[in-house]
Amino acid sequence: MLLSNFRTDMKIIHFKNKLRQTGLYLGLASLILVPSACDQGFLDTDPQGKQAGVVFWQNEGDATKAVNAMYANLRSWNNTAFAAIALESVGSDDAEKGSTPSDATFFNDYDNFSVGSSDGQLGGFWQGQYQNINYANQVIDNIPPISMDETLKARYIAEAKFVRAYSYFRLVRAFGDVPLRLALPKDATEYNVPRTPKAEVYAAIEKDLTDAAAVLPLSYGATDIGRVTKGAAMSMHAKVSMYQQKWQQVFDLTNQVIASGQYSLFPNYEALFRVANENNVESIFELQNELIPSNKDASNSQYSQVQGVRGVVGGGWGFNVPTETLAKSFEAGDPRRDGTIIFRGETTPSGDAIAATGDNPMYNQKSYVPFNLYTTGFNEGSQQNVRVLRYAEVLLMNAEAANELGNTTQALASLEMVRARARGTSKTILPKITTTDKAALRIIIWEERHHELAMEFDRYFDVIRQGRAAEIFGPKGWKAGKNEVWPIPQNEIDLSAGVLVQNPGY
Amino acid sequence: MKTIVRLLYMLVFLSVGTTVLAQEINVTGKVTSSTDNSALPGASVLIKGTTTGVPTDAEGNYAIRVPSAQSVLVFSMIGMNPQEVTVGTQTVVNVAMQEDVRSLEEFVVVGYGTQRKLDVTGSVVQIKGEEISKQPSMNAVSGLQGKVAGVQINNSGKPGEAPQIRIRGVGTAYGSANPLYVVDGVWFDDISFLNSGDIESMNILKDASSQSIYGVRAANGVVLITTKKGKSGKAVVDYNGFVGFQKVTNQIKMANANEYATMVNELSNINGKGNVLDPTQYGEGTDWYHQILRNALITNHQLSISGGGEKSTYNFSLGYLNQDGVVEKNNFKRYTARLQSDFQVFKSLKIGYTATGSFSKSKDEAGGIFRQLYAAGPVVPVYYADGTYGDPTDYNLGDGNNFNPQVTIDYFNQNTKKTLLTGNVYAELSVLKGLTFKTSLGGRYSQDETRFYNPQYVATFKQRNTTSLLEFTRPQSRYWIFENTLTYTKDFGNHSFTALVGQSAQRDQSYKLTASALNVPYASEGDLYLTLGNTDGRNVVDEGDLGTYASYFGRVNYSFGDRYLLNASLRADGSSKFFQGGNAWGYFPSVGAGWVISNESFMKGQNIFDNLKVRGSWGKIGNASVPSNLSTLTVATGGGLAAIFGGQLNTGASINTIIPPTTYWERGVGTDIGIEAAVLKSRLTLELDYYIKKTERAIFDIPVLTSIGTESGRIVGNQANFENKGFEFALNWRDEIGKDLSYSIGFNGGVNNNKVLSVSSGANPIYDGGVGLTSGALATRTKVGDPIGSFYGYVVEGIFQNQDEISKSAQPNAKPGDFKYRDVSGTAGTPDGTISGLDRQVIGNPNPKFTYGINTSWTYKNIDLSLDFQGVAKIDIYNANLGWRYGNENFTKDFYDNRWHGEGTSNTYPSANIGGGQNYLPNTFFVQSGSYFRVRNAQLGFTFPQAVNEKLKIRKLRLYANAQNPLNFFKYKGLSPEVRANENKPTQAGIDANVYPLSATYNFGINVTF
Repeated sequence: MLLSNFRTDMKIIHFKNKLRQTGLYLGLASLILVPSACDQGFLDTDPQGKQAGVVFWQNEGDATKAVNAMYANLRSWNNTAFAAIALESVGSDDAEKGSTPSDATFFNDYDNFSVGSSDGQLGGFWQGQYQNINYANQVIDNIPPISMDETLKARYIAEAKFVRAYSYFRLVRAFGDVPLRLALPKDATEYNVPRTPKAEVYAAIEKDLTDAAAVLPLSYGATDIGRVTKGAAMSMHAKVSMYQQKWQQVFDLTNQVIASGQYSLFPNYEALFRVANENNVESIFELQNELIPSNKDASNSQYSQVQGVRGVVGGGWGFNVPTETLAKSFEAGDPRRDGTIIFRGETTPSGDAIAATGDNPMYNQKSYVPFNLYTTGFNEGSQQNVRVLRYAEVLLMNAEAANELGNTTQALASLEMVRARARGTSKTILPKITTTDKAALRIIIWEERHHELAMEFDRYFDVIRQGRAAEIFGPKGWKAGKNEVWPIPQNEIDLSAGVLVQNPGY
Repeated sequence: MKTIVRLLYMLVFLSVGTTVLAQEINVTGKVTSSTDNSALPGASVLIKGTTTGVPTDAEGNYAIRVPSAQSVLVFSMIGMNPQEVTVGTQTVVNVAMQEDVRSLEEFVVVGYGTQRKLDVTGSVVQIKGEEISKQPSMNAVSGLQGKVAGVQINNSGKPGEAPQIRIRGVGTAYGSANPLYVVDGVWFDDISFLNSGDIESMNILKDASSQSIYGVRAANGVVLITTKKGKSGKAVVDYNGFVGFQKVTNQIKMANANEYATMVNELSNINGKGNVLDPTQYGEGTDWYHQILRNALITNHQLSISGGGEKSTYNFSLGYLNQDGVVEKNNFKRYTARLQSDFQVFKSLKIGYTATGSFSKSKDEAGGIFRQLYAAGPVVPVYYADGTYGDPTDYNLGDGNNFNPQVTIDYFNQNTKKTLLTGNVYAELSVLKGLTFKTSLGGRYSQDETRFYNPQYVATFKQRNTTSLLEFTRPQSRYWIFENTLTYTKDFGNHSFTALVGQSAQRDQSYKLTASALNVPYASEGDLYLTLGNTDGRNVVDEGDLGTYASYFGRVNYSFGDRYLLNASLRADGSSKFFQGGNAWGYFPSVGAGWVISNESFMKGQNIFDNLKVRGSWGKIGNASVPSNLSTLTVATGGGLAAIFGGQLNTGASINTIIPPTTYWERGVGTDIGIEAAVLKSRLTLELDYYIKKTERAIFDIPVLTSIGTESGRIVGNQANFENKGFEFALNWRDEIGKDLSYSIGFNGGVNNNKVLSVSSGANPIYDGGVGLTSGALATRTKVGDPIGSFYGYVVEGIFQNQDEISKSAQPNAKPGDFKYRDVSGTAGTPDGTISGLDRQVIGNPNPKFTYGINTSWTYKNIDLSLDFQGVAKIDIYNANLGWRYGNENFTKDFYDNRWHGEGTSNTYPSANIGGGQNYLPNTFFVQSGSYFRVRNAQLGFTFPQAVNEKLKIRKLRLYANAQNPLNFFKYKGLSPEVRANENKPTQAGIDANVYPLSATYNFGINVTF
């Protein structure tokens, strides 16, 4: 009844006003309906100020930018600052927390091996390396279809493989088995990956480095300095081989690097680490940092800042300081002691007078940037490059491999080159090593590494590699069967819903 | 309503012509409203017992001839209590009519229209403008705290900052969690620009069926705001003003210098180093809160002029607010102007517009200053004897608190200006009887500017700057909304029918430009141009957003005999935000039904219920408050991705995010069952609601495995379904005692239970929260069956007293004074003698269970008093301030008094090393009750008697004193129990790190009507 009433009413109204109404309704309808015709266009808005991913990976320019982004990430906070200090330095006998007693006390947990799986630096280190790996995988997966100069394309992929290998090497040293991602995840089913055994990770690293070395050039022109070279790939490969005791491989690779004629030792050990001498003849791979006044975001390295001298403008936060043990361990008169350690009260060769009183008796000199290079508003020492691979290390790897293979002559010769540079013109210090006893020479070469590479984030894993960690770090709390690796970040285990299993003992 | 008015008119006109009487008396007078003394045009003046009567004119005046002195005049008007006056010897009878507050003809505003409260089948609460403006508040929403059942409001004491509002619990997990505000048809996220005095009414749509007509944006609830309009008649000039001050209350007490020095040494000793400070050198030291905080002045003026002729009305208002922050130098000024007019162009065509301009200017508060006040060392003096700043570096305190907050205040120089213009124009055409076409075009333009200047200065070792920096940030937004509706209303017999169809289109575009230059001189503000800075080191970046919406909607309301009610609506929304996903369109239906039992014939005889109604409704709503182009993979760029080769910069770009394959519309589905009743001659009214609100395919921004290598380590997508289930009540008692005392008491409350129904990752819960605050540990877990964002961590069993206890425990690396955690589980699912991630469990719920308010008002003769109380119960707060430490930050006095500092000193509080070892890990010690109860508002007013008004030639004069939050009761040990969710994310809710302190406000005000 209701409905019929309504219909009748409408009919009457409709009839009476038919003409007037038709026009009106059409008018109203047009108002209501007009936008619908163009809804599709209206709703299809472009991302604002963000280039859509689908239009990336189109040309050589895109490939170049993606490779640049990959390099840029290597200097990020998680790659070079607190996380690196925590996982790669303070565990050693050479370095300790520094700063003031109560600041950032979590570093102590790495120094005395009481760290729990929830500490933020574990996650930071993990994330930093996997970000590098993602940037590398982006290049490796997406560049091949781009139509561009094929030589350049191959080189870009080779550079990415080096970065991937370098990052996995840092991961495998720190955590042992880790999820191995050699391609971008295609969809959500590929997000959660279990840990791959350490041996397989090493195999993947070696493959990447072999591939990279086959393609990369020996050197670059002035505008490309800082990119990875063939020498860098072979040197990294040698180091990775050394961690697996593949001595013949270490020997062959280092010999090739030496024979390439690209490198020699920089005469002044202390000056080797100064901003003015970046990318010098000894440099095999350096992370490139700069202070660009117009680009604060690009001047974001905190590598030098976090380790800088406390309590002075242009210094820094004073973390990762050398220990008394390190200072005492140098052979008498070894100039590398002064080149490695800034002592309270000294005046640096660059002319900075360090106050005689201060929070810490020593600071890392290898990351030091003279205070007058500081600009407010920027991180202290943001221009300091990070020396990752130096020719001196290649020589020491060569010496160690030669000794292991029984080639004492070459071992002594390579070792002497490193000692001779440190010795300089002095006739009294760092005498030439002549022992031919394999075991004794091994220890001597290890100690040479200790001093040559001190405070360069090598010592902690180097000692573990040598199998002497229980002996050297034991008094600080290091325990065999547990502390060879750090715990996997708890957050990552949580997020994996148990796909990732914690390292034993944590 | 209009029909009834019209009928009355006709009745009145008819009678005038036909009545002839002797011994007549000419009576004239004016009918006004007792509420605001405004003229009441169209009121009926009737001689009792006759059909003789006249209506009042546009100025509320009337003239009538009555037969004799015994004649009684009956004054009546819809919405007003009728009033009778015996003429006697008077020839002038002026009447002030009172509003009929119990009228069942109460109207509420619903989406795209109004409805009789009787006809509503959902849960809609109307708050009248006077209720809002009565309580001086800078933001209209903050005044609602404790007034509406099921609506939780977290106020911030910060000048100009909007409160956080949750209607029936957490509606959405990502993007803006603010409700949609529709101000005169224009959509807003925030109404900070709006002067509370301009509001005629606020209508809160609480249930999904009422919200559903706003499909696209309704997921967090909808608040409909209508602003004041003029009324025909003589101009009414209103002035409201108040001055007052804001004062930090329930202030947290920090350790003094002596206590602090003691703790610094304890902390240093625990870390194997020697003493740092000599406690005997220090006494009280610096109380940084006392040094930097102040009683902040507030001044507010509001002037409005409204009136109109027969065919047009206007309302013009001006507002001025000047509010100081409780932090020195912080100040906020807001100027508002508004003009609104309606014109009856033809009998069938009405047009009108509203234009609002709001301009605000602030001297901003130094970022992070509250964290600094909490952390700053009390051993550091504000100034040394020589007048230079106290320098924490001189005390060797480290970098956790290497700042002098006074320096921060003195050298922080940032101003923000905001300009907002908004308005709408509309035309309403009565096409046929009952058929109305309305078209409305609304828009908004805003242009803000933040100017930051970091001068060149040297204050302390750490606080210095050698190169000045000038930076401008300019966000700008343009928005328009075009809506057309066609409404058909038809009453026939007992049937009442309304149908609505409509269309809406919106476009919202924002753009932000940031530019900076170094070494800009600063002799005067006139120097602050980027051009004057270095050419080297200039920086310009910009960003923007664009969203569009197209919508179609319709609704049918039907009621039979005011007994059976049926409402149904459907909205189809297209949003550009989901276009790339191929799912641009979402459909949001709703239905509601009601039964007004008290109108049934079988209820005629009874006199218990004056009103009894049951109602039920169901609806779907959507959420598009997510970033644009969510499903589009974008390219990352920026300086951080620029590589350096040969010392030169090389632009970098790559992909460092992952996106879910498709992001769908997030949907809310809500069911509501309610009862409304009025008993005891309508003195007692009751409204009960039970609701279930499900959020389906909720969009979350959650952490993902960092091994995927994304930049943020987070992913946005449809991650979970969750539910809010609850019960609400509003009980009101209103009565009069004798002639002079009238009062009302209202009690409202809500119980809400939040539960996660499913997560996309299946058995794997969502972890989040507290990443930075707990040294990287995740502090919340969102798991099926639990409340969203539940605190997750270890259970503290006690404190390790000595090495012996430690050696026997599951934490061999602990130190005496550390938390002893409960060994709950292990790899085999049973306690395994070690403390690992497997020993964590749910340790708190940040979602409030009970929210309630008690509102009372009392009027005795000329005196009026309101007392409002409000509270929240059963809520947990994670007091992250305690464990969020880098070094030698200060401790609370409570912590000092109770801390462990040697065997047997405490088994509940840890040592000074609370931020170190494993002590910082999320655990039960940090979870504290967030329940509170407060006197929300107390107000005493005095209205001057008529005699004074006549002398002063004004219509009304009222003075009042008011106190907000004067008394607060809570056990929480942080600054304020009103903790706002970080970025509105429910997976990071209730984590307290650096909240604004709680403050009380005292005001003295005046209302004058001319």
